[in-house]
Amino acid sequence: MALPLSGAGLSELFNERIKAVVAVEFFVQSEIERQPVFVLGTVIDGQGTIIVPAAAILPNVAPDQLKDFKVYRPGSTEAAQAEYLGQDAFTGWHYLRVEAKLRPALVPITHFPAVTTDPAMSDELWGIGLRNKDEDFLPYFLSARVATVMKLPQKTAILGTEVAGPGLPVFDQAGRFAGLAQTSFGQNYLLFSRNQHGNPILLINVEESSVVLLAAEVLPHLGRVPRSITGRPIAWLGVYGLQAMDPEVAKLLQLENKSGVVVSDILAGSPAARAGLQERDIVLAIDGQPLPRLKPDRVVVGYFSQAILQRQPGDAIILNVWRGTQHQAITVHLGEEPKLSREADRHYFERLGFTIREFLIADSILQRTKPTEAQGVVVHFVKPGSQVATVGLRPDDWIREIDGDEIKSYAQAVAKLRSIEAEKNRAEFILLVSRAGETSVLRVKLN
Amino acid sequence: MSRGFNRLLEAVVRIDVSEIEFEAGSKRFTGGIGSGVIISADGLILTNAHVASPQAVTISVTLANLERVSAKLVGWDHWTDLAVLRLDLEEMQRRKIKFKAAEFGDSSELYAGQTVYAVGTPYGLERTLTRGIISNTNRPFSDTRGVRGYETGLFNNWLQTDAAINPGNSGGPLVTENGKLVGINSRAYIGAENLGFAIPANVARRVAESLAREGGIIRSYLGLVPGVLQDLEKFYALAANNGLLINGVDPGSPAARAGLRAGDVVLALNGQKLDGRFPEQLPPIQQTIASLPVGTAVVLTVKRGAQLLALTMVTEKLESRVGEEWAFEQWGLSVRKVTRAFARENQLTDESGVVVLGVQPGYPAAEAGLARGDIITKIGTAPVAELGQLKAIYARYETKPSPQLIEAQRNRQISLYVIKP
Repeated sequence: MALPLSGAGLSELFNERIKAVVAVEFFVQSEIERQPVFVLGTVIDGQGTIIVPAAAILPNVAPDQLKDFKVYRPGSTEAAQAEYLGQDAFTGWHYLRVEAKLRPALVPITHFPAVTTDPAMSDELWGIGLRNKDEDFLPYFLSARVATVMKLPQKTAILGTEVAGPGLPVFDQAGRFAGLAQTSFGQNYLLFSRNQHGNPILLINVEESSVVLLAAEVLPHLGRVPRSITGRPIAWLGVYGLQAMDPEVAKLLQLENKSGVVVSDILAGSPAARAGLQERDIVLAIDGQPLPRLKPDRVVVGYFSQAILQRQPGDAIILNVWRGTQHQAITVHLGEEPKLSREADRHYFERLGFTIREFLIADSILQRTKPTEAQGVVVHFVKPGSQVATVGLRPDDWIREIDGDEIKSYAQAVAKLRSIEAEKNRAEFILLVSRAGETSVLRVKLN
Repeated sequence: MSRGFNRLLEAVVRIDVSEIEFEAGSKRFTGGIGSGVIISADGLILTNAHVASPQAVTISVTLANLERVSAKLVGWDHWTDLAVLRLDLEEMQRRKIKFKAAEFGDSSELYAGQTVYAVGTPYGLERTLTRGIISNTNRPFSDTRGVRGYETGLFNNWLQTDAAINPGNSGGPLVTENGKLVGINSRAYIGAENLGFAIPANVARRVAESLAREGGIIRSYLGLVPGVLQDLEKFYALAANNGLLINGVDPGSPAARAGLRAGDVVLALNGQKLDGRFPEQLPPIQQTIASLPVGTAVVLTVKRGAQLLALTMVTEKLESRVGEEWAFEQWGLSVRKVTRAFARENQLTDESGVVVLGVQPGYPAAEAGLARGDIITKIGTAPVAELGQLKAIYARYETKPSPQLIEAQRNRQISLYVIKP
């Protein structure tokens, strides 16, 4: 029986449940600045483990750039230190662990009973929002009714208005855990001002969200605490540019009522390539399970990617694909995801004003080159106003030669640039740089 | 004014062009105004390639004596932004219309500071005469999309003048005080003050002769992109005044296949020393390559680090990145053929396919989800190698509409679409 959403009963529920939520502060240290970030997190166990949403940290930020994690309880100015544990590839959650002194004051979300059935349309849910640091992260109450439940591909409730801060839990009237608020969706508005008449704009509420991942999709995965700060092991197939099969196309190919993903690109030497998967193959099923029909169509791409990430490197999967005019079953032994941008070795040359990082498998896709032919280094950061910036060097440029010497390895490039940096009387150096297939010689003046 | 000048004024014409445009999924007619100059007694008119193109449907010429006559396109060359038209002589004889032809001057004898006049139809204002000086005789100016999306300016330098040049002056003559044609006014920096550019008469005359004779110009291509060596001689340990820096090499081009690489310095072409230190030295070098007969073997003497290499390559026919255009109106789809140059520029595996120029909202192509910039690679199970194939499939569709499966790439991602009646 649901309790009335008011009065002393509710405030009791609220006061208990704010013990499962925290505000997290940390800094992203880049070459020239230190950027503070505030996000919201939910406590998931008795060891002080906290999850924050995927969007809290950009994918190319290296773990060693993340500094000084601090955790605050709602309404408190007292900070506790926390350690960053890494990101889980499947859920996208970042995991933290707060120091022991704060743990007794926290209650994990798993402590509360959970909703076991899908909420129905018009059910009223409530959640917690937190104010900013200058207001001591004061907790406040939000509530809204369920508008619809969708598979995106996880079961997700969309509410009529904002119901909680992104990353914070949502409850039903009896105080049962109903789900976790996600990063909110963009909403279309028309902007009217003195100079603009009805220009369409997209607004995203970063403080509160009306999108809730249901408890049944959250609870089974809370235990995916990364074993390492890199989030590894991460299963890897090696296909890129996946596109959902349009229902009209399915009909024409006599694959009516089937869902599928079209494979655009297969990296040479990847598990998919070794198994004989081909470009233009349409994947229809994994291990005999047909891909579900989801709306919008593109959600099936997310479903497929997650199905891979849920598995382990070394696992065998069977993909049922449509190739040209016939069905094929292909067994793929998944590999380990190659080094990601956030894991790449990188070095900042302060006097030269730019950072290089090693060339990754992902770069060979971007640069349209075979991974076996890939060498050189990639520009990761260019200091605004520096000499390299003035001559037109940009992040993601591919450095092929330095002072006429072909760059074969990251170590060689670092050594070369170090020696250039160390030569106090040097007037200039020359880079040969590729961008989108076009190569140019850049001449950088020093001093 | 001199008698020569008056004669020149009588040779300048206004050109009104109506042409087809394949934008936004349909065939549309648009109009434009430009200028031109009559250069021969048999009624050849020199104008800009961006004034009258092969997509022109009607070209109407207004003579200085206010007679209006139709003309036909004889030849077109976007690389130099020149086109040649021919007046309808039969019509002129029937109507007893007379005209004068301009006389060419020698553009190589021009000097900075020399007084010149521009004649033309700026903003439709006929027979407008403006005066200025030659500001520079040798201005490099290339643009990969300068003439309606076509490349221009790679093979010649331009005359720069401060005589007022505005839209509509295009194709009109730049003349000396004695009325000699020394340039064809082509472009100006919009928003800048008095920075106008004209094709030198010596280039225009040579191109016009080829266009009148053959309708077009065939050029040779190696696929090297030169850069300016300026002040880098010491870095590359070069002798004074020698060397052409290679900034890039088109993938798959003869130069690439021969092993030429960015960062190389070409010292000589077929034994002839090259000097590419300054931007204005590059177009003449490009022209040297372009003017070789297609299929000529070329030996480049290349300096790579301390090494000296001799690389041999055979020239190909130069192609534009812009291919033939067409509109499939029932589908609301306009396309352009992928050319070898386009494929290389966009790192495509080959030159098959057509690029979507536009789709008309609410029509089958737009409803299927196709969008501008998509590259259609297959229809049904057949790869689209030629535009003709697509036209044939479309013709069958027109007589008996049925759903068509389309494979297209967007940012190299393959998607399938269905065009439904």
